[in-house]
Amino acid sequence: MSKDERGRATRRGQPYLDEPEAKPFWANLREHKLTQQRCSSCKKMFGFPPQALCPNCLASDYEWVPLSGKGKIYSHITYHRAWHPSYHDKIPYNVSLVDLEEGGRLVSNVVDCSPVDVKIGMAVEVIYEDLPEYTLPKFRPVK
Amino acid sequence: MANISGKYCIVGMASTVVCVHARKRSTADPTPGHPIRRGDEHWEEPWGHFAAAGGHAFAASRHMYEFGTKSEDLAQIAISTRKHASLNKNATMRKPITLEDHQLSRMIVAPLRLLDCSLESDGGGAVLVTSAERARDFPKKPVTILGMGQHHPHFSLLDAPTLTTLGGKKSSETAYKMAGLSPRDMNFAELYDCFTITSMITLEDYGFCRKGEGKDFVKNGRITIGGQLPLNTHGGLLSQAHLEGQLHITEAVKQLRGNEVEPERQVANAKVGIVSGHGGSLAMHATLILGAL
Repeated sequence: MSKDERGRATRRGQPYLDEPEAKPFWANLREHKLTQQRCSSCKKMFGFPPQALCPNCLASDYEWVPLSGKGKIYSHITYHRAWHPSYHDKIPYNVSLVDLEEGGRLVSNVVDCSPVDVKIGMAVEVIYEDLPEYTLPKFRPVK
Repeated sequence: MANISGKYCIVGMASTVVCVHARKRSTADPTPGHPIRRGDEHWEEPWGHFAAAGGHAFAASRHMYEFGTKSEDLAQIAISTRKHASLNKNATMRKPITLEDHQLSRMIVAPLRLLDCSLESDGGGAVLVTSAERARDFPKKPVTILGMGQHHPHFSLLDAPTLTTLGGKKSSETAYKMAGLSPRDMNFAELYDCFTITSMITLEDYGFCRKGEGKDFVKNGRITIGGQLPLNTHGGLLSQAHLEGQLHITEAVKQLRGNEVEPERQVANAKVGIVSGHGGSLAMHATLILGAL
């Protein structure tokens, strides 16, 4: 596995589990908790991707707080072409931008739903997909 | 980049700059692991989001939701751009296309079809930027930089305030102000067209029509040679070649010099044109307004 200039593993298609700002995000997901940074100074949520300084007031103190896991679809697309060999048997598949209730957006997949039934504005909730090395947050329609 | 390099001349850090861009995609490795990375892919790829087509499909999907834009509207840009390429001897894709061709082309990342996507190309281009005084002595007629701007509203898709208005709005406002001109003064537009939706959003952001009205603006020949605002008179990234924004700049220069392109695609009385550049996760934008001397 090659490393980038910050020493992060650069295996394509994988998250950087050891990235300093994001390490707790991935560790919390392993326990089925979706969390986000909240500034200890101005109390605002950081949003995503995780970062070292508060994007609002530049303070460096923050805590990881649990999220409701609820959100709405900002936009959605359907991949009909596999850019990575591991997706050949998955096309066509959905990728969505999910706006979370507390603020902050994630790229993710809407599951338990055909790609053609995913709609902008649709209410979704988090589910956890456990893989051997990490856990991915994915979303399903709120019934 | 040419835009930024040009700025060095204007602020006096350099007297003459050659702005070169070349690309060789026929041998580039298109598979996962190739080294060109923006830096935020690890927040996209674990969920199967790999390609520029995906980011722009998000913008198209949202534009369709907010404004009722249809795939058939995006097709108008592809068809007109291909017509211009058919008139350009130095274009890759010269066979004209119809609405039916567009609608029957395969889905890449829905809602974007194959004919909404730009080409992979080998090629290069260059422009020389120097003082107006020095340029007067050159054997070929120069064009002048009337205005420029840039704006980069976000870094990642995760922190984009919106995907239906991009950096082009503020970037063009800066350029128009510097030039003392407005959208109606533009004789043509060479707008970055990595995907059809990119040009549609830029037409709106640049004030050629109101936000959401791009779908009507691109109809009835308005963006084709002979129309109100010929768009991508060389065939653009969609049909000439994808060398990022380089050929949009060289095309604008040729149009303003006159007698340098095939007569069938020369904009009549071309005095002022606008050029855009765009990049990243729909994050970066630059504008140039060029004028005939």
